[in-house]
Amino acid sequence: MNLKYGFFPGCTLKSAEKELMMSTMEVARALGIELIELDGWTCCGASHIQDYDEFTATLVNARNIALGEKLGVEKIVTVCNTCTLMLRTAKKKIDEDGELKEKVNTGLERAGMQYKGTAEVTHLLWVLLEDYGLERLKEKVVRPLNGLKVANFYGCHILMPPNVMGFENPKNPQSMELIAEALGAETVNFDQRLACCGFHAVFPAEKEVNKLTRINCLSPKEAGADCLVTPCPLCQMQLDAYQPGAQKGLDQDITIPVLHLPQLIGLALGIDPDKLGIQRHVVDVIPMLRALA
Amino acid sequence: MKKLKITIKRYDGQKSWNQDYEIDYEKGRTVLWSLTMIREKLDSTLVFSSACQHGICGSCAIKINGKTVLVCQTPLDSMLNLFKTDRLIYEPMSHFEVIRDLAVAWEPKMEKMKKVNPWLIPIEAGTKENGFLQGADDFQKISSATDCILCGICTSECNQLEVNDGTFLDPFIFNKAYRFAVDSRDCASEDHVHPAYENELWKCLHCMQCVSNCPKHIDLTGEISALRNMSMKMGETKNQGARHARAFYEDTWKKGQLNETMLPIKTDGLLKTAATKVPFALRMMKTGKINPLELQKPVNGIKGVRELYDYAKEVEKSES
Repeated sequence: MNLKYGFFPGCTLKSAEKELMMSTMEVARALGIELIELDGWTCCGASHIQDYDEFTATLVNARNIALGEKLGVEKIVTVCNTCTLMLRTAKKKIDEDGELKEKVNTGLERAGMQYKGTAEVTHLLWVLLEDYGLERLKEKVVRPLNGLKVANFYGCHILMPPNVMGFENPKNPQSMELIAEALGAETVNFDQRLACCGFHAVFPAEKEVNKLTRINCLSPKEAGADCLVTPCPLCQMQLDAYQPGAQKGLDQDITIPVLHLPQLIGLALGIDPDKLGIQRHVVDVIPMLRALA
Repeated sequence: MKKLKITIKRYDGQKSWNQDYEIDYEKGRTVLWSLTMIREKLDSTLVFSSACQHGICGSCAIKINGKTVLVCQTPLDSMLNLFKTDRLIYEPMSHFEVIRDLAVAWEPKMEKMKKVNPWLIPIEAGTKENGFLQGADDFQKISSATDCILCGICTSECNQLEVNDGTFLDPFIFNKAYRFAVDSRDCASEDHVHPAYENELWKCLHCMQCVSNCPKHIDLTGEISALRNMSMKMGETKNQGARHARAFYEDTWKKGQLNETMLPIKTDGLLKTAATKVPFALRMMKTGKINPLELQKPVNGIKGVRELYDYAKEVEKSES
């Protein structure tokens, strides 16, 4: 398998979640995966834009995919659950509806572009399992995460809806556990493993999402986990940056560090934690790293 | 002989307990078969509901190892394989009042559903004598939504209902609101959309559990999105949800990418942001997560992006 991909970072990697950009690039380099950032990509609409205008949501994502097709790559890789969902939703709609495809291309023509449908949209987690392979990943581990108890928080949009995402059964996925175990970590089962982080309604449903964050942090902590790990920057932001707010007024300590998946991988590959942006977290990751050392 | 271990969460109207059962495994059976075996052979006091046995009546949904399914159409083997176990845990659906064991109460949900006027408010063209005429295109708009069998799986799996005080409408109620709001024979969309809006339409977390677990594959999330869009077109634009959605639409037009620093202000307004988000913003700045001084340049090809917006508006105009 040719390990050359079009890379769709998504907005958070350029701003609040720069550490995911740093860690993704470091890990890709260490594994020999070539990521070519799409030139001129735009926001995927983050599962909000379609509430305002569904056709525009399809158009901007057709354009994003067309940017990848122009590179001649087989796959466009993302590291955000919601970006993956938005791009795949647009792709599925267009690929299944010839009339829509024509309509989309009439619009894209004005921007001097064309959507062909030749590039697949995937997530780094899937690339590691499907294209790279666990055995190969294991060979690259220089600092096995022995003794680290990892709670995998999948996030909704890498699993659902299954007719768009379809990589694994959303009722009991295993991909995150497979990666964590390949890195030498111990995986912890916990009630909120497949829960929603609530990020997409953090403004209109602030009170409820705050409550959800408490449960989502307490559940892995009570199950004995040292950290949460997630393949989605939006889940990470919700669980990490909003954690102090969720702690407020609560006697019980909910503190738990929240790692991005590439950060966990990077640690096992022996990459300097600073290069993985570990210091950019709201909830301090350093005590966990000390315990690991 | 291979045994099947089943733990059932029991409830007798006062107290709740877990009860273990063991039955002989038989290949190719459904979950409903296991419940029937337990009731017939081991424990006649076990309460569960089922009727049609064909996934039509919607009365037999329960939670198995945390996931809600219709037991009549769920093979036991699929659950055993999925959870790699020989022990299954049966519980009543979440977010329902439990009557006994696995049976839940629907009356409170039906009362709640009345909020969206879940009936046809007929256009003048319809008459008692001749009924209504509806073309194929108009029927297609409601075809999937009318497949709902009121099984409650969407409610049981809903993440918002897990943390909500009960105001948020169950996904099947949003479906009902949508179904009448877009029905060509209904003359009062607003009477269905507005109550949906008033009952926390924008609090849906977009977790996709409803749409992923619906046994009739109804696009509930798409319907919620359509209801939001209709509510905005009806003038409900000055709320956090609508302003948030608009911010994504506008930012993508302006620079191609989201301006995360400005997003709270666009959604909540300057005053509310200043009053509620300062500690959060300080935390974000301290760790370098937001930098208000960072300049955002438009993406390459931004003109093309704006062309797409113009085009979308033209298409909408020509199709309406």
